[in-house]
Amino acid sequence: MAVTPSAGVEALHHLKLTEPPMYLTPSSELANAARIASEHLFASLKPYTPKSPFDRLLVDEKFDAEQIWQQIDLQSQPLISAIRRQVIKFEKDPQELKNIFKRDESEQEKKRELVSEEEKGETDDDEDDEEESDDEDEDEDEMEEDEDEGENIERESKEGGAGGVEDKFLNIEEMKEFMEDDEAREYGLNKKKHVKKSTRKHEEDDEEDDEEDDDEEDEVSTFLGVLGEEDTSDAEDARYEDFFISSKKSRDQNKKPTVNKKVEDVEMSDGEETEESDSGDEEEDGDEEEDDDEMKTDNLSTHEKQLLEQRARIEEVERENLEAKSWTMQGEVNATKRPKNSALEVDLDWERNAKPPPVITEEVSQSIEEIILKRISEGRFDDVQKAPTLPSKAPREMKELDENQSKKGLGEIYADEYAQKTGLVSQALSFSDEQKKEASVLFKKLCLKLDALSHFHFTPKPVIEDMSIQTNVPALAMEEIAPLAVSDAAMLAPEEVFSGKGDIKEEAELTQADRKRRRANKKRKFKAENAKKIAKKPRENTETAGNAGKEES
Amino acid sequence: MEANKGTSSMEVEERETKVVAKPNFKPLTAHEISDGQVEFRKISVPKHRYTPLKKAWMEIYSPVYEQMKVDIRMNVKTRNVEMMTRRDTPDVSNLQKCADFVHAFMLGFDVIDAVALLRMDELYVDSFEIKDVKTLKGEHLSRAIGRLSGKGGKTKFAIENSTKTRIVIADTKIHILGSFANIKVARDSLCSLILGSPAGKVYSKLRAVSARLAERF
Repeated sequence: MAVTPSAGVEALHHLKLTEPPMYLTPSSELANAARIASEHLFASLKPYTPKSPFDRLLVDEKFDAEQIWQQIDLQSQPLISAIRRQVIKFEKDPQELKNIFKRDESEQEKKRELVSEEEKGETDDDEDDEEESDDEDEDEDEMEEDEDEGENIERESKEGGAGGVEDKFLNIEEMKEFMEDDEAREYGLNKKKHVKKSTRKHEEDDEEDDEEDDDEEDEVSTFLGVLGEEDTSDAEDARYEDFFISSKKSRDQNKKPTVNKKVEDVEMSDGEETEESDSGDEEEDGDEEEDDDEMKTDNLSTHEKQLLEQRARIEEVERENLEAKSWTMQGEVNATKRPKNSALEVDLDWERNAKPPPVITEEVSQSIEEIILKRISEGRFDDVQKAPTLPSKAPREMKELDENQSKKGLGEIYADEYAQKTGLVSQALSFSDEQKKEASVLFKKLCLKLDALSHFHFTPKPVIEDMSIQTNVPALAMEEIAPLAVSDAAMLAPEEVFSGKGDIKEEAELTQADRKRRRANKKRKFKAENAKKIAKKPRENTETAGNAGKEES
Repeated sequence: MEANKGTSSMEVEERETKVVAKPNFKPLTAHEISDGQVEFRKISVPKHRYTPLKKAWMEIYSPVYEQMKVDIRMNVKTRNVEMMTRRDTPDVSNLQKCADFVHAFMLGFDVIDAVALLRMDELYVDSFEIKDVKTLKGEHLSRAIGRLSGKGGKTKFAIENSTKTRIVIADTKIHILGSFANIKVARDSLCSLILGSPAGKVYSKLRAVSARLAERF
């Protein structure tokens, strides 16, 4: 519902006058008054929020407090940020504030048309936004002023620009100045000389909304626009001095706080790095060198500037080459030659030939155990089986060591030995014991029968290797007449008597080298034995058997 | 006894060439060699062998007196066995053999084993002490002695049987009776046992060596 400003003001006053405790109880009268007052406030602020989606605050009774608040919030948020910017600007430049106030005093008497004309005149100063912000402040403080006046103000201020685009955020004049600064920096132009050009820039600002938000696109569009403008309409204005004269003055002007210095910096860094690389390089040098460099670069052509750039880069690269390389670039590096823990930061990658050790996980050990269990259940062990060797000769009878006391006396033993030696007594084949032999024969027969019963494929009569003992019974036992030494009827073949390996030499046949070798071998064995003994028993002294022999009788 | 006179070739007058038989001299008896003098041997009897000597006296006496033809008596007062050659002692060495025989008995050998000394002259008695091989004290010594004999004497018997020797272990003294080579083998085995090698190792060595010994003539 439309509300007249006076009604709104009345409502406000009413609200102010009520005591705070009255607010605790809900009263429809107070609520109504609040609604009217907020609607009035909204309407008065409306001129300063062109982007607001609401023409007026919707405060019907059906609207919730929350909804009303949201509407207000929508309107006030951009307002607040704009005001904050203004405040910051005034912080930096209080002088302008004074100017504004002075002007305000005069403005209160005059109409806004005069103000807008002044705006046009004062393009060098950055006061346009400040004027508007002051307007806002006045409006907020004194609600009695007509909205129409506010609208007039706005319209007139916009007439300064190009068709209704300007608001408190967007100021064509500021834009103009900013662009001049940019161009001055890049081309070494005097900013003041482009006053005329700045006036043209108003038209290009149509595309821009908020400088903060749309940096790159706006810059490009405006820049192109600027260029285009320059080419077409400002050809006559362009002069040699504008481009190729030292821009000391422009530097001074740049030091002044421009409209949106922060915005400039942001735009500089984001958008125009490529286009302003030359000037950017120059700016990176020290402030002291800036003037000199700028003087030189002003005199050089683009190509020369590029050459300078290249040279600078070359020098940098050369300097790098002369320095010591980082440890990663050196060849073989020890741990001592690189800083501590530096290998952790570098991504090391080299070809490893060895297979990586297997990671023992649960599954791996499980699988191994499965294999083991399976093998055990099958009984399939990979045991090493000895290759059977064929018996080349008749196995010699192994005399068992008798551990019982011998029943025969020593004399008898020697007598028997002598008798056997001389052949007076022929000894029977000693196969341990007659009983044993009998037992073995019986057992073999039994085994044969059992095999016949149990084997599927019966192999009848396996060949029994007869272990016949070939004692070297002399021929005399065989009733041979020839004497011992001559007869060759010994039972044992020569190789069974003596199996000599290698070259058997008689004592007399050994050469000097052979003797030496034999002695050396003996010594080596002796030393090995002794070393073992000494290692085993270091405490006890061993007396060799050689020392023995002194018997006390 | 004077030898029969040989034909004197000096008698040139008798032209009769008589063929004189070669003189046949009988070997000298021990008595004659020593020019009629008698030889003695005296062997003292240790205390621990006194009773066994009394028991085995006849077995000692008989072969010595009858086969060796050496007089033998026991001097009870001085505790010695005394031997003396007779007129009909055939060989000079008989007395020595008998002395060795009795001495072997005194060392501890059995009579039947010692008698071999009388029958074969290539048998010797070798003695040594454990401390000659290795200095052992206290328990180590006892253990070494135990190792030598084995359980129930089986190790000692094994060595005896395989090397055809007889061994007497008297506390720390060891006596071996046998032929020279066999003594050597037995002594090596015993020394290795003293030095600490296990019985099994000694057995295996014994087997190899005895087989080799048996093959030799």
